[in-house]
Amino acid sequence: MSSAKRTLGNRWDWSCPETRKQLEDVFFRDQDYIRSGSEESRDFWNFFERFQRFQSNQRTERREEGKERKAGKGAHPGLADLPKDYDPRYRINVSVLSKDMEMRILGQGQKKAERQKRSHQGSGSERIPGEKVAEFRMAMLHFLDFTQKQGFAKLAKLQRERAGLPIAQYRDKIVQMVRKHRVVVVAGDTGCGKSTQVPQYLLAAGFNCIACTQPRRIACISLAKRVGFESLNQYGSQVGYQIRFESTRSPATKIVFLTEGLLLRQIQQEPELPQYQVLIVDEVHERHLHSDFLLGVLRQLLSLRRDLKVILMSATINIKLFSEYFDRAPVVQVPGRLFPIQVIFQPIPQEEMNLKSEKLDIRPYLRVMQAIDHRYPPEERGDLLIFLSGVAEITAVLEAAQAYATHIKRWIALPLHSTLSVAEQDKIFDMAPPGVRKCIVSTNIAETSVTIDGVRFVLDSGKVKEMSFDPKAKMQRLQEFWISRASAEQRKGRAGRTGPGVCYRLYAESDYDAFAPYPVPEIQRVALDALVLQMKSMNLGDPRTFPFIESPPTSSLETAILYLRDQGALDSAEHITPIGSLLAKLPVDVVIGKMLILGSLFSVVEPILTIAAGLSVQSPFLRRAQNNPDCSTARKPLESEHGDPFTLLNVFNEWVQIKSSRRANSRKWSRRRGLEEQRLYEMANLRRQFKELLKDHGLLEDSVAGPSDSYSRLQARRERRQLYHLKRQHEETKGRKRKVLKLKDEDTVGSSSDEGGTAEASSVGEVNSVDIQDIKFKLRHNVEELQASSGESWDPSGQHITLLKLIVCRGLYPQLALPDEFNSCRKDSDQIFHTKNKAGVVLHPTSVFCSNPELLQVEGIQDDRNRAVKDSRKNVSSHHQLLAFVSLLETNKPYLVNCVRIPALQALLMLSRSLDTNADCSRMVVDGWLEVRIVESETALRLLSTAVQLRAEWEETLSLQLSNKSNVDKEKGRERKKISALAWSLLDYIKCKADYSIHRLAGVEMEKLYIGPQTVPDNSCLPGVFPSTMMMKPDHIKGGYAVTSFLTYNCLTSDMDFYSECLRTFWTCPHCGLYMPFTPIERMSHEASCKPEEAVVDQGTMVPAEQVARSASTLSLQRPYHCDTCEKDFMFTSTEILKHRRQHQGNL
Amino acid sequence: MESSTNAPMKRVFECKLCRLTAPYSYYGQKPPNTHSIVLLEDCYIMKDPFTPTKDKFLILGSQCSLCKTLVCIDPECSLFYSKRFCLPCVNENIKEFPWEIRQDLDKRKAQAKSQHHKGTESKT
Repeated sequence: MSSAKRTLGNRWDWSCPETRKQLEDVFFRDQDYIRSGSEESRDFWNFFERFQRFQSNQRTERREEGKERKAGKGAHPGLADLPKDYDPRYRINVSVLSKDMEMRILGQGQKKAERQKRSHQGSGSERIPGEKVAEFRMAMLHFLDFTQKQGFAKLAKLQRERAGLPIAQYRDKIVQMVRKHRVVVVAGDTGCGKSTQVPQYLLAAGFNCIACTQPRRIACISLAKRVGFESLNQYGSQVGYQIRFESTRSPATKIVFLTEGLLLRQIQQEPELPQYQVLIVDEVHERHLHSDFLLGVLRQLLSLRRDLKVILMSATINIKLFSEYFDRAPVVQVPGRLFPIQVIFQPIPQEEMNLKSEKLDIRPYLRVMQAIDHRYPPEERGDLLIFLSGVAEITAVLEAAQAYATHIKRWIALPLHSTLSVAEQDKIFDMAPPGVRKCIVSTNIAETSVTIDGVRFVLDSGKVKEMSFDPKAKMQRLQEFWISRASAEQRKGRAGRTGPGVCYRLYAESDYDAFAPYPVPEIQRVALDALVLQMKSMNLGDPRTFPFIESPPTSSLETAILYLRDQGALDSAEHITPIGSLLAKLPVDVVIGKMLILGSLFSVVEPILTIAAGLSVQSPFLRRAQNNPDCSTARKPLESEHGDPFTLLNVFNEWVQIKSSRRANSRKWSRRRGLEEQRLYEMANLRRQFKELLKDHGLLEDSVAGPSDSYSRLQARRERRQLYHLKRQHEETKGRKRKVLKLKDEDTVGSSSDEGGTAEASSVGEVNSVDIQDIKFKLRHNVEELQASSGESWDPSGQHITLLKLIVCRGLYPQLALPDEFNSCRKDSDQIFHTKNKAGVVLHPTSVFCSNPELLQVEGIQDDRNRAVKDSRKNVSSHHQLLAFVSLLETNKPYLVNCVRIPALQALLMLSRSLDTNADCSRMVVDGWLEVRIVESETALRLLSTAVQLRAEWEETLSLQLSNKSNVDKEKGRERKKISALAWSLLDYIKCKADYSIHRLAGVEMEKLYIGPQTVPDNSCLPGVFPSTMMMKPDHIKGGYAVTSFLTYNCLTSDMDFYSECLRTFWTCPHCGLYMPFTPIERMSHEASCKPEEAVVDQGTMVPAEQVARSASTLSLQRPYHCDTCEKDFMFTSTEILKHRRQHQGNL
Repeated sequence: MESSTNAPMKRVFECKLCRLTAPYSYYGQKPPNTHSIVLLEDCYIMKDPFTPTKDKFLILGSQCSLCKTLVCIDPECSLFYSKRFCLPCVNENIKEFPWEIRQDLDKRKAQAKSQHHKGTESKT
């Protein structure tokens, strides 16, 4: 037998694909345990080769060793029938059957099975001899045994690890406490395992429907993954997560990880939160705005739901505060698992402090790196983590560290901050080659949000840059502070996660003692608009008396309330308005929410959705690409001269076009332009969410979407199947493996050249891998629909964009800035602007106006002419512009972020909250800070009068839309027509011309602005401008007459005759042709009432045919389209063109 | 502790030697959803939690053929040699087992010792 084997063995080739296929056909069928072509069958063949080698080794070994066996006689009857001759086969408790024989062999001896197998084999494939089949079968059994043992070992290891966590010893105590009390605080430091274990303990103890909140989305995902794995539910649905755009939750889910914000939204919808039995609020010590608020809400919820259990989990920081807030809730304190850490205080010497210059002195940082090199041999592994306050500091230290690294070849320096691309952030998890340490230069992001293993050294600058909020200027301020003692300890702890560590502190011990004990909670330092609005919409009463765990500053609350009233979200009694409750449901800033509502009113919702989404995510523009000339050149065509939100719109639209074309690679496209594609994906998700919300609230009609004919439906279905398949494939091969970093060559210190290099390298690596983001995107969104809607905003006439700008500005109002009048004499980079509360702000360097300041220059002012003419004619032009901005951010300077330019006078007249005029309306003060002087009072009067009418119409249509009452189609049609007409009137209004000057009022000027209450003999009220509205009343503070809610007539002190309000001038009414003398007020009144109904549309000078087309298409931007296939001409919108084309495709 | 009143009665396997517990979904020789596999002893089985495929199973343990104790398949707890034996029973009757098994056990003992040693080292 053995000789036969040998002779065969010479020719026999196991790796022959045909042989393998034959065997697979018999043993790895679809119903078998291992399937042909699966990952497992590949594993098997690998195993098979190893097994063969092992066996041949064994054979030789066994021949050498004489084996004896002392057969003990009948020690136990159960042992009597043990096989006499040892064979590894007897150690395997699995047997494999071929389906056909299964019935016959069940329960019979192994030999018979073997025999039958052979005969079966004989009929199917003559070429494989019986011994070979037996050999194969044996290998298969060993393989099954091996995989079983491997799987079990994994399970056992998992359980051992869980049992080894510090918190495991407190398991029973925690469960008991939660049974006994309604609120329990679990305090434990990093690494004790509370976040992963507590939910599992509770589930195992019989609690169900457990929600666990996290401050960060990423933590929700990773925790759900980990807990699912640990609870052996990795592929089940018991453990899930739910974040803004993603959910793995199902009715079977028992533990769900979700963000604090999302839980709050759920409470908003169902105040008693019936879907949960246990709420775990994790990381409460981080004191995020949402978590503080959530605690307040939960405290109230506990009185409604007697059966609810609340568990607060925190680091061992300030535990008393939380316990006492919840009626002295019991605390379970769990020790963390930290190794000893040596602390070295190394304050920066006086001469390196560099108080004057902005630049950080890098010497103290290099000294620490050198000290590590001297003291610790390179074979002792352990990385360095440097905590700095901001990106500028990181860049400075990184450069120095990289220079040092290239010299000494023992370091790889990597940055870590939130504005890095996701791929760059991921790099910090890669491993350094032996003998080399990573030096990670980070912001405080590595303090809590990102955990890096393998850190042995921490270098703490003791500084942090934190956003604070100035309620007076409504400005965010990014300032550098000393950290708190709690943060310092947290930073130190990062050195002792995997072994004993060292923490270098660049401050003295006395400094440390002087630090605040805890960081300032977020609620104390941010704008509270959204919070107050949410509180109002949740019926939580007066925010001033809400029992916060620690109250926010009163001034912040007051500012927020005032702001919300100003925005119309709250009424004068501070009750929430319809628009307010709608805004509360939109998960965005109030200003952006307003844009969405206005956008849906004017049926320009697609671009507004994009802009709103773009302004709600982090900027997609990578900072590093700013200095890269290739990137800026590639970006140039995307820049919009109208402003930054429109650049975002262009970027997104262009990206969608790239996405929808099959050949282009959007990842490459984004990289070339220095764009973080992740943000664009977020935008796509966000705009979809906005769209759904608008639909839910009846602000947007359901479009009849989807391909129309059966062919394209089929096609779409096939594509989706394919995408699902790819997605699954990706999930099976699981995420990204850790790579080993490479030491950089000498010449790669410059970051830009490095960037090009990595881009090339990674694109090579990506060839085989699927772009999972792309697949997810295509599964989630209808790309064709997106493409069609993104095409719509490419409107050559500019009308569209003007309307969009008006909407954006109305949303942003009153966030306006006025260019300084001397800007034309300043250098490009020195252009300054003034807001109402803050003078001398500058443009953010990323703004389009920063690189193209000429866009803001006022045309038509001629300096020499101005000098000759009197003071009053100074700076007269019809082209003044204002900047509306999204936020005001102070770092080293106050910056305007995300600006849009808009004609000044028209915007102010259309949007201002308060307009005060003199008698002939040639002088106006807007919102108490801008003074406008219009050269001709006739023009002024005309503009003002039209503004008053248009604004009333606008308000009316808006409230109609919000009340959403008309269900009759006919009525809807009429409404649409009216809205369309309004849109055109607004556009015409923005275009109208007037010569005027504009300036910011100085403090002195403001003092004597108003004439104040007058004892005018004729105190009777003048007739109202609108027949329907109330009568004009004298204004008792400013003087003059309150005409509308925003307009106060003739209240400004002036050198002109006060009684000019009574002066009548001759005027012809353009509608009725009436010609007679009017006072300004009389004229406005006449104009408001004299408007014939039919003339509403007839604002401009359109020919009737055009008129019809325009109003019918509701600005939907049809354009001539010639179809080559059917050779006809059409007037089509982009969507219609697409549909039309598809028709032809279907016919083919 | 686990079997609290409101907990759904889950079938849990527990190794009486190492106290490993895991929910099992099947007990017997013919794992569900598999056509071509038979076990040579009655086993406690769960769906393999580490693969997404439904028909993959994981054997947790079975009864010792001598003392009838429930044991897991961890080599520290039991071995299979045509039947399942818990390690205490094996050690008691060590002479009845072939030389290969004895050698294997000795090797494992030595290995466990050194591993344990290593484990404590890395922790300090």
